[in-house]
Amino acid sequence: MSDSPAKSPAMSGTRRLALALLWLVLLAVLALFIAPRVQLSGDLRKFMPAPQTPAQKLLIDELGEGPGSRLLLVALSGESPETLAAQSQALRERLLATRVGVDVPFKLVANGADVGLDAIPQRLRPYRYLLSPTLDTQRFDAAFLRSELDARVQDLGSPAAAMIEPLLPSDPTLETLKLAQAWQPANAPQRLHGVWFDRAGREALLAIETHAAGFDPEGQQAAVDAIHAAFDAVRANSKTKLTLTGPGAFSVEIGGRTAREASLIGTIDSFVFVLLLWVAYRSWKAPLLGGLPLVSAGLVGLGAVALAFDGVHGITVAFGFTLIGVVQDYPIHLFSHQRAGVSPWASARALWPTLGTGVASTCIAYATFLVSGVDGLQQLAVFTVVGLATAALATRFLLPALIDPSPHDAADSKWLARCWNALARWPRMNAAGACVVAAIAVAVIVFVPGAFWQNDLARLTPVPPAALARDTQLRGELGAPDVRYIIALQAKDTEHALQLSERLMTALDDLRAQGVVGGFDLAARYLPSAETQRARQAKLPSDNELRSALREAMAGGAFNDDAFDDFARDVATARKATPLVPADLAGTPLAASTEGLLLQREGHATALVALSGMQDPAAVAHIAQVHGAQLLDLKQASESLVAEYRERVLWALALASVLLAAAVWFALRSPRRVLRVLAPMALTTLLILAVLRGFGVELNLFHLVSLILAAGLGLDYALFFDHAGDDRAEQLRTLHAVIVCSLTTLLVFALLATSSIPVLRAIGGTVALGVAFNFVLALLIVRAPVKAVA
Amino acid sequence: MRGSKLLKAPLRLTGEYRRPDADTLVREVRTPYAETTTLHAGEATIERAGQSPRKFSLSRAPELAGLQNSFGALLGGDHASLETHYVLQADGTRQRWQLTMTPKDAALASKLKSIVLFGRGAELRCIQTQPVGSGDAQRTLLAGAAQEAAKATDAAALAALCEGAPAR
Repeated sequence: MSDSPAKSPAMSGTRRLALALLWLVLLAVLALFIAPRVQLSGDLRKFMPAPQTPAQKLLIDELGEGPGSRLLLVALSGESPETLAAQSQALRERLLATRVGVDVPFKLVANGADVGLDAIPQRLRPYRYLLSPTLDTQRFDAAFLRSELDARVQDLGSPAAAMIEPLLPSDPTLETLKLAQAWQPANAPQRLHGVWFDRAGREALLAIETHAAGFDPEGQQAAVDAIHAAFDAVRANSKTKLTLTGPGAFSVEIGGRTAREASLIGTIDSFVFVLLLWVAYRSWKAPLLGGLPLVSAGLVGLGAVALAFDGVHGITVAFGFTLIGVVQDYPIHLFSHQRAGVSPWASARALWPTLGTGVASTCIAYATFLVSGVDGLQQLAVFTVVGLATAALATRFLLPALIDPSPHDAADSKWLARCWNALARWPRMNAAGACVVAAIAVAVIVFVPGAFWQNDLARLTPVPPAALARDTQLRGELGAPDVRYIIALQAKDTEHALQLSERLMTALDDLRAQGVVGGFDLAARYLPSAETQRARQAKLPSDNELRSALREAMAGGAFNDDAFDDFARDVATARKATPLVPADLAGTPLAASTEGLLLQREGHATALVALSGMQDPAAVAHIAQVHGAQLLDLKQASESLVAEYRERVLWALALASVLLAAAVWFALRSPRRVLRVLAPMALTTLLILAVLRGFGVELNLFHLVSLILAAGLGLDYALFFDHAGDDRAEQLRTLHAVIVCSLTTLLVFALLATSSIPVLRAIGGTVALGVAFNFVLALLIVRAPVKAVA
Repeated sequence: MRGSKLLKAPLRLTGEYRRPDADTLVREVRTPYAETTTLHAGEATIERAGQSPRKFSLSRAPELAGLQNSFGALLGGDHASLETHYVLQADGTRQRWQLTMTPKDAALASKLKSIVLFGRGAELRCIQTQPVGSGDAQRTLLAGAAQEAAKATDAAALAALCEGAPAR
């Protein structure tokens, strides 16, 4: 350390440290203030543009709550079928009794156990005559009743007697059983020991529908946790294994893996950052002071987002912190340029035009996301702009009070001088050279075969192939609805939606018979339209007609004369009943089946038809269209949304590059300098794209946003080399700063690039490449020839 | 024999029980109508001529569930298996014995009070299933008792026959 006195009165080391600690305390207070105001929301829809087409609207507005995305599939295996069946039952009971806070996490837990009779509450039982299709083709006359009663005698002599006997007095035609059977899933798996099993009879199967939307990672997490907890209790000491698949389970697993990898990488990064700064500045205080602007940036940025939006998106926080990671460069520049004999304030003042230009340009670039019209991107813009500005201002106006005024001068470093001498021999790249590099890069970008863009959202969060295969298998066994295709039927109210559904249902029955679809589910299967109910009601006999038909049917038969008095009473009730509407089902298990499939909005209703085992989408689309409905391909809808989204980001990027160039022009005011500063950044962007394309990487949104980050870094490097001019000492200090900056950034993002999570890999790879290219190109293009070599 | 308060007189069915393999029990009714019930893996399938088969879970027909596992265990001479499902109590003499089986499983016990087996020597003659509550006892007469039952006329006589009294 140099012991020459500083010109301005320097604060004592203790006092500086105390101030740094005070800053930390203030940050902690700020964190306490902000924390309760930050409500992390995991709703991915906030990161989507406003939907335009019906399919997109359905995907965004409703399908998060749709039946396919909320379904979790469970298989129990590894024990005898009897044990598994008992465990399946116990698991179902536990899950239905589970509460998370006051919420019921599960809408439906189906394992094949007969629930039909309990599904109809006592007050609705007489409605069986309006719900069951028997009256569509049959009248309750003496002949029909006689044949039914004969069959009932046989039932009483059969092993089913105990089950049927209690129903008989009020329901001799067994409509209750017909309904229970009709409400079973269309192509349910085989049942062994009372519950569903796979075809091989080795795995007990359950289908669980959550209340939480598929787009809601926290709700899905709570549901998955509840299932694991219930399973652990049910399993006890047996060897049973649990398999859990479905969109929710996968998103939870991938979310967990992403969080684990990101936090591991974050930990390694912090360690590397501390170590590098310690080594670079030979002071343990450097990492502490270097971290202060970063932490301030994060907290203030978070506070700003919390103030400006309701609910901070989880991705904003995760991605935002990655993006504002560049602010750790700001104190590094200050450290590297600080030397004995110059007050820290003077150093900061001298750096400010350069630092300020870089920060302002990058802020302008991110600010273009504000016009993207996407809530999540706007949050990201506010977070990064406020964060970058905070860190820059903190470095300019607060940090000089804290740093050591007379540290080791980077310009005196021997290895740096050797390094510089080596670099000085590098050729400088002229305009022609830059054009050649650009041309090669563009050629690679254009001519390498393969898809340019990646539209499949699922590829961003890939499910391991084994898990996906298991999901497909369970989906097939359970006849669970396809997550890709769904029919939507729009009507002005639920009654009309149900009427249209009934007509569609007949057509779909034909398609199923032809094997075009494996099965389907829609609300009209559980609740006929009021029109249909009234038609059945009109066919119910009057009390006198029924009693005389019954007398005739029972004459000389095996039943006691008064055996079916309850039947006559229920039919009389059904004749006078007001037809059931969806609201009447509230609180019954039927509501769970219907409400996900019949969506009511102000002045509008949508009936959904969940499809399974889809064989011929075109045929189904045709049938749907004929009946005034529409077959929606949700995969296609999500891909078109992504494409639209990308278009917005690209426009934002184009705007950003224009504004960035304008900002640099405004700051430097010399066409030559502007071109020199912008050239490395522009070339780097082309080179990154060329390398990614060359390796067959399909580009996604995270690549694009990362390109801005890389461009921002490149701009900083170029501006600082430009600022250094031709003074050797300044060049050395700048080189020192840029080496430390680029090393820390490179390490952070190179680690991210090794991640198994495509999102992290996209960000890491893009930025790491960007740092490397920007560093080299800034040296080759921006660096001024040294005036006099010492 | 099957009695019900809905019926004027108990139903009297004849037919046979078969065990095509260790895990399956078939109940075949021949008169007064034809009906085949197959019990396998906890599920019952009832088939009648001209109708599609009906399937239901044995957990809903406890008397049958009891019959299936006791029948299997009895025919297989598997005392240990019987004891895992039931508390066993033997009474009577070798010439006129009865074995009372009380279910251990709570779900079964809530519907089924007991199964009593009546026999003479090596011959199992009657299975009497007593449901919980006021329901009638259901009797399955076998072997010699079944032949004698053809001569019995009223419910009381059949009950006596089941319990081992000689046919009147």
